[in-house]
Order: sequence, then structure tokens, then C-alpha cells
Amino acid sequence: MRQLRAQIGNVAKADGSSVFEMGNTKVIAAVYGPREVQNKSQQISDQALVRCEYSMANFSTGDRMRKLKGDRRSTEISLVIRQTMEACILTHLMPRSQIDIFVQVLQADGGTRSACINAATLALADAGIPMRDIVTSCSAGYLNSTPLLDLNYTEDSAGGPDVTLGILPKLDKVTLLQMDAKLPVDIFENVMQLAIEGCKAIANYIREVLLENTNQLEYRRGL
Amino acid sequence: MQEAELVTPGEVLGRAAELKAGKGAYVAPHNKTIYASLTGLRRIIPPPTDSADQRPTVEVTGHKAHGPVPEPGSVVIARITKVMARTASADIMCVGPKSVRENFTGIIRQQDVRATEIDKVDMHLSFHPGDMVRAVVLSLGDARAYYLSTAKNELGVVSAESSAGAAMVPISWTEMQCPLTGQIEQRKVAKVEVN
Repeated sequence: MRQLRAQIGNVAKADGSSVFEMGNTKVIAAVYGPREVQNKSQQISDQALVRCEYSMANFSTGDRMRKLKGDRRSTEISLVIRQTMEACILTHLMPRSQIDIFVQVLQADGGTRSACINAATLALADAGIPMRDIVTSCSAGYLNSTPLLDLNYTEDSAGGPDVTLGILPKLDKVTLLQMDAKLPVDIFENVMQLAIEGCKAIANYIREVLLENTNQLEYRRGL
Repeated sequence: MQEAELVTPGEVLGRAAELKAGKGAYVAPHNKTIYASLTGLRRIIPPPTDSADQRPTVEVTGHKAHGPVPEPGSVVIARITKVMARTASADIMCVGPKSVRENFTGIIRQQDVRATEIDKVDMHLSFHPGDMVRAVVLSLGDARAYYLSTAKNELGVVSAESSAGAAMVPISWTEMQCPLTGQIEQRKVAKVEVN
């Protein structure tokens, strides 16, 4: 797995924010909420409404992209992240309110989907939004008869299958599983097991970052 | 009893048979275990001695303080925005000593302005747009606004500006005077305790 780096509290105006790096992939997430629903027609009377927006900065890939915010890939990834986070936020505790998650990719080098979910988890924990467990995500693939963990852009574009997995590590539940290309079932199980271990390692790292941040806050408050 | 241990979301705090889940914790129904839902310090609160359920409560105190929300019975400071024939609308600015972070709207109805002769109240002689009032929240109201009441001696207009632009001085339960022009204007004045 590539080197992980994370920071909390970068966006001062947001309720929670984080920057998450997996190797060369760098993602920034900002969470606003729980706050009053802006579009009253979408208000849910017994739950919070979770909205998510994923975008890639123009300068994130090798060639500068034209700004395509509403394109199909962005919409699909926004939907995926929203469903993953909605499964783990305790929405029934905040009826008639709205939680906004904004994720932007600053540097893309493969595994942006996973980095976005990890960044969103950290930002939600920073915002103090009650969750069942932290969600961690990792991608894995299979190239040249070897299962690979955490693919970068070159490995991803080599044409092998790409499995993205999101789990709740302490509850041992899977919230996201996506794969493109085809894999025989027994090899798929190996790849999925590898991805689960990768997710658990990321979970340990995220927990360390959260505890370190809380310790810093306690220290500054003089406790 | 305080055991200050730092936990993150998803960590096991105990079994539902021995502990109750307080704020920042939840019970997973399928295996009756209590997990943390926030990042923060885990604290165990002993049960009140007279309750039937003698399990201590475990809660996790996080760091993000969300802004205060008006609750029924809380005293709020609001600024009047609109005065109509039977109601006055106000923007709630503070709940107790803390200022709110989001905009909450309140409505003062004719029957809630004062405690006596409630059907003879003239809204325009009680409030003016721009007045700061101290009111108590009656209820959560409807989808648009909280219901507020000023029907007590210490509730009502605390600060108001006269038509000349100066801060008016209260002279009785129902009158305030402008120090610049001497004009007397009618308001439902609050009795502010001077200590």
C-alpha cells in the first residue's frame, strides 16, 4: 500500500474538513452540517438528508482538463460516496436537517474513489457527526497473476480488474463493493481479502490521526 | 466517576446489559453491544439512585460544539422584523447567554404579548420593527417559526430606537421616551433587573 498522510481541520469555515493522501493521490473533503435543509421540499421528517458532491480540480490529472463538473463519472462517484456515508451516519438522530459533503481531488494518481471516502470519513469525524463506525476504503487489482493493493494510475490503466472496497472495520461490514472487468470467483476472493486488510490498515491510521488530533485539542484546552 | 479514555467512532464501549448508551454512543441491535459514535472522551455517569434501571450511562463528549437551539421554556433575545394586526415576527438572536449560529424565526401572537386583557392588545402599540425583545419560547410552533411569549414582567422590549434615531429610555410598563426629542412611544416594556 502506498504512503498515507492525513490532516484534519484545514478548511476553517467548514464544520469538519480533512486532506487525505494515498501516495500521489491527494483529496480534500469538507463537511457542512447538520444544518437546516435549504430546499424544504427535500426535507425528510425523521432523518437527516445527506448530500455529496465530488469534483476533480482542473490541474489534478496529467493534462489540464476542461471543467466538467456534471459529467457522468463525477455524478456516479458522488452517488457512490453518498450512499456509503449514509449507511454509516446515524441519520435518525438529526431529523429535518442536512449534511453536505464536498470532496475535491487535488492530485489524481489512481484510487481517487477510495481516497475520497477516507477523506470524507475523517471530515465527518472532525465535524462531530455521530457515525456507526469509520468507513475506510481501498482498491485492489490483479495483474500478471498477482493480487495488487492500492493501484496507482499506471497499474489501473494496465487493463486488469479494479476492485474498490469500503468497509466498517470494527463492525466487519461491507458498505461498498465495485469492480470493473471480470475475475474468476476464487481469485476475486483473494483480491477482496487483500483489500479488506488494506482497509483495516487504513482504519488504524485514521484512528491514530483522530486520537492525535483530539489529544492536541485537549492539550490546548489545558486538560 | 470519571475515566477519561479517548475513543473513535466504532469502538466498543461495553455491553447493553451492563451500560446504557448516552450521548455519543449507540446500541447495535444485533449483538447488544454499545459502540461509540463520536471522537472524544469516554465518561461513565452513575445512575440516579431512585431510578428503577440501575445501569450507569456511558457517553462520549466530542469537541465540536454545535450552536444552541431554542427549546420550549428557554429565554431568548429576538429582534422584531414585522408587526402585523395579530402577530409580530422576530429573528431569534440569542438563546440564554449564547448567540445562535443559524437563523431561527419566532412569532409573538396577540394573546401572548401580556398576561392581562389579552384580547385588547394592539400589536403596533406593543412592538416596532427593529426592537430587541426578551421572550420565552412557548413551543416549537409550526414549520416556519417558533412561538414566543412576552407575557411576564421581565419579558418584553429591552431596547428600542425612537423615530429620531436615539436609544429610548423606559418610563413605565407601556411607555418609552426618546432622550433627544422627548417623544413618548408605546411599547410592552420589560422590567430589567438592575443589580
